[in-house]
Amino acid sequence: MQAIQSFMEKYFVPVAAKIGSMRVLIAVRDAFVGTLPVAMAGSIAVMINAIIRDMPGQFNPDYDVSAIPVLAQIVAVNGFVWQGTLAVAGIIFAISWGYNLSRVFDVDGLAGALVSLATLIMGVQFAVPDGPWGWLPLRHLGAMTYFTTMLLGGLSVAIYIILIKRKITIKLPDSVPPAISKAFTAIIPAAAGLYAAAIIYYIFSLTIGAEGTFVIDWISEVIAAPLLGLSQGYGAVALITFLVSLFWFFGLHGPNVLAPILEGIWGVGQLNNLNAFQEGGLQAVMANIGNPNMQEATFLWVRGSFDAYAWFGGSGGTITLILAIFLFSKRADYKTIAKLGVGPGIFNINEPVMFGLPIVLNPIMLIPFILAPLVATTIGYLATIWGLVAPVTQSVTWVMPPFLLSFLATAGDWRAPIVTLVAFAASFVIWAPFVIAANSQKEAE
Amino acid sequence: MITINLAQNQADAIALLEAYQGGDFSYKFEGKQGIRMKFSVTGDPEQAGKKAKDLIKSQQWGTNLYFNVMIG
Repeated sequence: MQAIQSFMEKYFVPVAAKIGSMRVLIAVRDAFVGTLPVAMAGSIAVMINAIIRDMPGQFNPDYDVSAIPVLAQIVAVNGFVWQGTLAVAGIIFAISWGYNLSRVFDVDGLAGALVSLATLIMGVQFAVPDGPWGWLPLRHLGAMTYFTTMLLGGLSVAIYIILIKRKITIKLPDSVPPAISKAFTAIIPAAAGLYAAAIIYYIFSLTIGAEGTFVIDWISEVIAAPLLGLSQGYGAVALITFLVSLFWFFGLHGPNVLAPILEGIWGVGQLNNLNAFQEGGLQAVMANIGNPNMQEATFLWVRGSFDAYAWFGGSGGTITLILAIFLFSKRADYKTIAKLGVGPGIFNINEPVMFGLPIVLNPIMLIPFILAPLVATTIGYLATIWGLVAPVTQSVTWVMPPFLLSFLATAGDWRAPIVTLVAFAASFVIWAPFVIAANSQKEAE
Repeated sequence: MITINLAQNQADAIALLEAYQGGDFSYKFEGKQGIRMKFSVTGDPEQAGKKAKDLIKSQQWGTNLYFNVMIG
């Protein structure tokens, strides 16, 4: 065990730390986090609609929310919130991406945000053949544009950053107010970045896109589809669960380090599920599983699935560890930590346990800390894939207590908390022997 | 006294805090046991703890560290 730990500390952790501190990856992570206030508002709107519009229909087929005063108006208001948030998640992400990418390289974030947004809009379908001109279709403004934004928006913002750094800018006298000076400084770099993107769009339209394919659609097909397809396999789901635990164990913030993958792949899938649910409820979500059109495709396993079935009480499923300590531990120190940890643990915060026992760098805890979420994920994954439970279609904040979290995340599927309970029981069985083993460790000391 | 539970970059964190000269607090490394590092501080320990957390998080090596700061 000590040898494995030494090996990991020597070779794995420094590489992970290095990757985790790369500026571009920090920008990716912060870009996703930056969309959170708006994305959560949209998620709340969709969830409220799920509760008052869709859930009652499971129990009463004659239920029609549009005939119920107040509720009908709430649904309508939520529709506006959704329209300005999740429906145009691509616009919001483009702004966040440009801003954060510029910020990590210490240049003006606002101009970077605008460059990134303008780059995205360049690629949007602007006219329908033989139809109206000058409108922006939602399918080019949603989550599937994230990949285009990261690539082409990344390129144009990178050019903007480089030119700013090399001072290829318009210089104004010191007497000019800073706000004006800053805007003028950005003119040449921003224009260069935008023209570079525009030339790429143009060349694409003459070659690959000659038949009318758009860059956004093409990137969705060539890059997003394979990645999202891969994300639905058990191997990828298990691997990410394993890595998150491993990072935590070695004192690195697992979801932070892996945010570009977790949010960039599974998070995008979740946004598609949310949008499909808002448009047509669970039926629309289920009907679009495996849809080859990535703008409309929905997915069985998404970002929130991990929270619903694997990370109850925090990473490692540590609420079950706390339960095992209450039942089996003879150690006063463990019991004290468990008492301190149970309150936060109900809200999936496990810091007292992680540092109190500790679990971080504690060889005796490595195996259950990795194994318990892996088994829990497997249970949740199989239940979802086999259709025993509805897929996650709602974004629920991770501090929601475990069983309620899976219930709400699946838009009120009563089977979801049962699946969580099975995963919970399996985690408990994994943790218990190690708690008992820790008793004898104390005696030995 | 504050305790920082930190598994990685311990030497970096010690050097960073001991070199801090913001004028509001100063930190002196007193010793460590595993992931637990103890620092004596001047000024309000709670504020000093918050400052220490911010300082570590603001470093490039600190952005993805999982750690906490306790008073005492």
